[in-house]
Parts: sequence; structure tokens; C-alpha cells
Amino acid sequence: MAEKAISRPGVKRVIGVDLDFGALRTAGPRYWAFVSLLVTVIGLGVMAWGVLLTHGGSVMAMRDSYPWGLWFTNYMYYVGLSAGGLVVYASVHLFNAKQFAPLSRLAVLQAGVLVMMALLGIITDMERPWRAVWMLLTPNFNSPFIYTGSAANIYMIICFVDLWILITGKGGHKLAHRMTLIALPFAVYLHTTTAFVLSLNKSRELWNSAVMVPIFLTSATASGVALLLICAYVMQRIGAMKFKPSMFRSLSTLLATVIIIDLFLLAVEILTVFWPTSAKPGHALRLAEFFTGEYAIAFLPVLVLGLGAFALLAGRSTRHLPVVQITASVMYVVAIFLKRYSLMAMGFAVDPLGQYSAPYLPSLVEVLIALGLLAVGLLIMTLSAKVLPLRVPEEDSAEPDQVVLASHAPEQALEVG
Amino acid sequence: MSEDSTRSAGQPPRDLPEGCTLSRRTFLGGVGATAGLVLAGAVPAIVSSAQAAEGGVPGNESLSGVIEEDGAVNYPGKTVHYAEPPGDEKWAMVIDVKACIGCRRCVYACVKENNIGRNSGFTYIQVLEMDKGKVDVEHANLAYEQGGDPDKWYMPVQCMQCAKPPCVYGCPVTATWRDPDGIVVIDYEKCIACRNCIVTCPYGARHFNWVEPEIAEAEINPDVPLHEKAGVIEKCTFCIHRTREGGTTACTEACPVGARKFGDLNDPDSEVSILLNTRRVWRLKEEYGTEPMIWYVG
Repeated sequence: MAEKAISRPGVKRVIGVDLDFGALRTAGPRYWAFVSLLVTVIGLGVMAWGVLLTHGGSVMAMRDSYPWGLWFTNYMYYVGLSAGGLVVYASVHLFNAKQFAPLSRLAVLQAGVLVMMALLGIITDMERPWRAVWMLLTPNFNSPFIYTGSAANIYMIICFVDLWILITGKGGHKLAHRMTLIALPFAVYLHTTTAFVLSLNKSRELWNSAVMVPIFLTSATASGVALLLICAYVMQRIGAMKFKPSMFRSLSTLLATVIIIDLFLLAVEILTVFWPTSAKPGHALRLAEFFTGEYAIAFLPVLVLGLGAFALLAGRSTRHLPVVQITASVMYVVAIFLKRYSLMAMGFAVDPLGQYSAPYLPSLVEVLIALGLLAVGLLIMTLSAKVLPLRVPEEDSAEPDQVVLASHAPEQALEVG
Repeated sequence: MSEDSTRSAGQPPRDLPEGCTLSRRTFLGGVGATAGLVLAGAVPAIVSSAQAAEGGVPGNESLSGVIEEDGAVNYPGKTVHYAEPPGDEKWAMVIDVKACIGCRRCVYACVKENNIGRNSGFTYIQVLEMDKGKVDVEHANLAYEQGGDPDKWYMPVQCMQCAKPPCVYGCPVTATWRDPDGIVVIDYEKCIACRNCIVTCPYGARHFNWVEPEIAEAEINPDVPLHEKAGVIEKCTFCIHRTREGGTTACTEACPVGARKFGDLNDPDSEVSILLNTRRVWRLKEEYGTEPMIWYVG
């Protein structure tokens, strides 16, 4: 409570944003312990990247049979999770969903940081990152990479510009509203083009399906909303923010609706692959690996967790209980990570010449790079929660240091995934 | 109301029934949308017909359908530094699967000829062993011990030098293209190692150098790049360093049963032209529309 008064002297105004460096000075030992842990993990990640750059791609578990691995799984996952923040931010302005308003700054920051992590994942996967400049100099517009790459970059910029507008209040409510009209279509565009990276390949039977695009959109929204619900509960729990129970009810209703659409789309795809009048060996044999083969361990939980989450949220007598809503959300955030992993493997487990490769598991270098990137995202969230004015002014009850803890929630949930 | 005042004398009279009149805005909008749709649909058609026009059909009328669809794709006007400029040929290969005994001599000759790292873990050519009575790639065996099993048949697969190459379409930086003589080449200096071409290729023909390729000093072929292939994609080039200088491919040369025929489709007297004209041939995954330049004959 005294925090607010003490922190005033350390405030510096940079491009119209009050950066509260004073809050860092008063931060407790637990805060700095967490920061140094993150810095250590980032250091390990940088070392792993150095090993990759000097020794070449063989230090990774990827091979010709699995040309894309953990970085691609994470790209799909992070890009998807970022949608949740944007949907909430957009609904505040488009649908006047006032109950989400206290979350808007955090949601936009989280969306931008997640997309940045996805993009850094691509850079750290390249053995010669400087060659990426050819994407700008001689782009090939037949390649979906051009669209998803540019979409992710522009989307990230939009998120950070949005955050700046929200914090400084420049342009007022009108500009914030107009930015939503740009940001929301761009979020849809980003997920569509990410799905296109998979679906526009006739060489990969299980990816080559138009339903991939709506599945990407629903999976992204569901996992993002689930993450947000977890985040909101953590905030409420530590007293950083107050939400009405009706807000959680509407959030979990939204979640249940998107989950069932997501599962429905997956179900019709599976049905099309296996139905006797439509089953082609190229499709059926490949998908069978995910029901009876070694990949069943990753894919069947997607269906079990998904149906379980929906059942929990649908039960009339229990769905208002926080523990039920949190459990369902965690189940679905985990399910979507497994779904991304399975999706990656569906293209690669059986190659175009019918050759099966044992399941891909990332090597230590890949895991360290991925953890390093996660730590980069966490560090940005941790520092900005102290320094950036993330609290929306109307929410007077929120304490700066408690917001810090709260903002870890989405990232910690990521680690679960 | 304001629209009325801007109407010119040429506008339809007001007493026409509704539906016969169009406001200018609606009309222009409709025209714009239609033109947009037509253009969007026409662009690929225009591009492909322009490409078709490049490949002339000198004296091989019967194969004109095949040759016409054959042309440069994303060609930057100059080929890669490790090859001679393309000539007027249309390179093609015919593989006789009835003759193939699965001995993999083509594979070994190719590895030697093309400086494929002995530690790289891939070969340009992959020979599939399949059960009789089926062309069933899904159950094919790549890792068979020895060829020549009388109960099986063998089908070598390599880069098909497709006329509509998904790998070239998928490369985000145009680091790979199809030369006018039909050879799909890679600029090793430009490849960003995104590996999207591995993903887009329906024939598993593209390979990534996850390690620095290693070859004993005495076995290095000076005509083919080696060290610049570290950390980038490589694949069969129809032995571009030999064929553009009048030679044939190493695999064709190495085949002990003469199952491989390599030549110029523009030349009606070449072996490939004669085979395509006289025998019933087929292509792998024809239904994918990639228009491969390797035919199989049984």
C-alpha cells in the first residue's frame, strides 16, 4: 500500500509512458531470485544456440524425416495462445465487454510477447539467420512462409503500438476502438496463414485439408481464452484484481463453446479420413499411427482432455465452481500443446514415400533454446509488470507488486504445456 | 436525392421496374469485384501460358503436350554458378522397372559423383522395394538388405525435375528454381535452411545437410560443390555438370541392366523420345499434377 507513494520518485517518462524504475529498487528478494533464474535460463539458451551455430543442425533431433520440430510446434502454440489476449482486448472495444476491461493492457502485452517468442523461435532455428534478409529482397509470393512471416511481424508491431495507445491514452477511446478493427482481422489473418503453412501442401496428406484453417482458429481461441481464465483467477486469488463471478461464467461459457466447435472440426476430419467410402491409404495409414501407433500417447490425450474439459464446463451443477473452471482450462491448454505436437508429427511420421520414422523427441539443445525463449518472454513480462503501467486506472485496488505476480500466470501456464 | 442531381442525361428513365437500374456505385463496385475475381483467376493461367510459350517444340510434335508444360519456373535469368548455362534441350529420364533389380548401383554412383557427404545420411536416389501386383508406395520398403528378390519389384525414386515443382513454389526466398532446360537447381549461397521444400516435395527428393559433408580428399569430385552444401538443401540435378556438357547422368551410366534412359525430349530420335512415343509409360503420383520429368515403363 505504501508502494505507490515510494515508487513515485523513480518514474521516468519515455515516449509518453511512465516507466516506474523505482518499483525495481523496492522489489523484494523473491522477485530478483526469479529474475536471476530467468537470466540463467536465457544464458543456457544462448549457449545452446551457440552450440547449434558452431556444430550445425546435427545437434538437433530434427532430420530429413522431421524437418521441423520443437520450434515449429512452439510457433503454432505461441501464435495460437496470443489470440486469446487479443480476443479479450477486442471484445472490450467491439462488444463493449466491460468486465474484461481491467485485463486489456496485460492481454495486449501478452499477445505481443507471445508472437515475439514465436518469431525468435524461427530465427534461432536458422543456421545462418542473416540470410533471412532474402525474405525481403527476393520474396516468392507462392510460398505461405512469406504471408505468415510478414503477418507475425506486423501483428507483433500492432500489439505493441496498441499497448502504447492503451497506456498513453493517445487518440482516446476512438483510436483504441479503431486499432481493434485492424488488430482483430490481423489476428485471423495470422492464424489463417499459419494454418496455410501446413494445409497448402499436397505432399503431406493429413495437413492438406481446408478444415485446418478453422481448426487453427478455434484451437487458438480456446487455448488463449483458457489461459486468460487461469490468469484472471490467479489475479483474483492474490487480490490484484476483482472480477464478478458472472465474468467467469461468461468466460467459461465462451470457452466451452469454442472447445466443442474445435472438437467437432477435429471429429469431422477424423471421420473423413477413416470412413470407408472416403478413406485413402495415404490418409488412413498415416492417421492410424496416432490411434494405434507410437503417437497414440500424444494424440489420444488431446481427445480425452478436450472432451473432459467440455464435460466439466457443461455440467450444470458444477460449472460455476472455480476449481472446475480452472481444471478445465488447464486441461485444454495442455491438450492444445499436445495437439500442436501431434499436428507437426502428422505431416512427418510417415514420409511421402511411405516410410515411418520413430517419434520425434527434441534434443537437449532444442529444449534449452526453447526454454531460453520462454525465459525471454517471462523476463519481459516480469520486468514490464514492475516498470510498465499495466494497471488500468479504474482499477484502484490493484497493487503494483501484486500485478507482477499475476502477470506470471500466463507464462507459468505455458510451462505446464 | 443527391445522387439524382448528379445523374447524366444518358441514365435510364426513372419509370423502369426495380432491378433494371443500377446506381453507378453498385455498378462500378460489381465491375470492380468481377474484374478482381477474373484477374485473380487469370494470373496463374497467364503465368503458366507464358512459361509454356518458352518451350518450343522443334520437330517432336507427338510429345508436344508433355514438352509444352515444361518450362522455366522462377528462373532468375541466370543459372547457378556451378553449372553451364542451360541449352535448348528438355531433359527427361525413363526408368524401366521391369529391368531394375534393385542393386542400388545407381545410388552408389550418384553419391560418388555428386559429392554427397559420406556422413550426411541421405542419398539422392531412394530405391523402393514393393510387393507384386501393386504400385503401393505406402507399404514400400526402402531399407531392404539386398536387391534381386524374385518376389518383389523395385522402383528408384529421385528428384523428378517436375514441370510444376512444389518445392520451387514453396521456397520463400526464390533460392531454388527451374532452368529452361527443365533442371531444378538450388542456389546454395541463398538457401535460408527453412526446409519448406522438404515439406512440399511429394517424392522425398530433397535433403538437408544437418552435418558438414565429409568426403575423403581423393574421392572429391572437383566439378561439384561440396563445402558450400553444409547447412543447406541439396538434391539430384540430373548431373548438371555432365549433362550440360554433352554427357549422361552417373546413375544412367552405372545401371548394370540399362534400366535408365536419359536424353532430350526436343530430339525426336533420342531414346527417351522414342520410349515415350512407343511404350505405355506412367509417372509417380501423376494425380498430384506435378508433371514429373521422370517416367516409368514396365
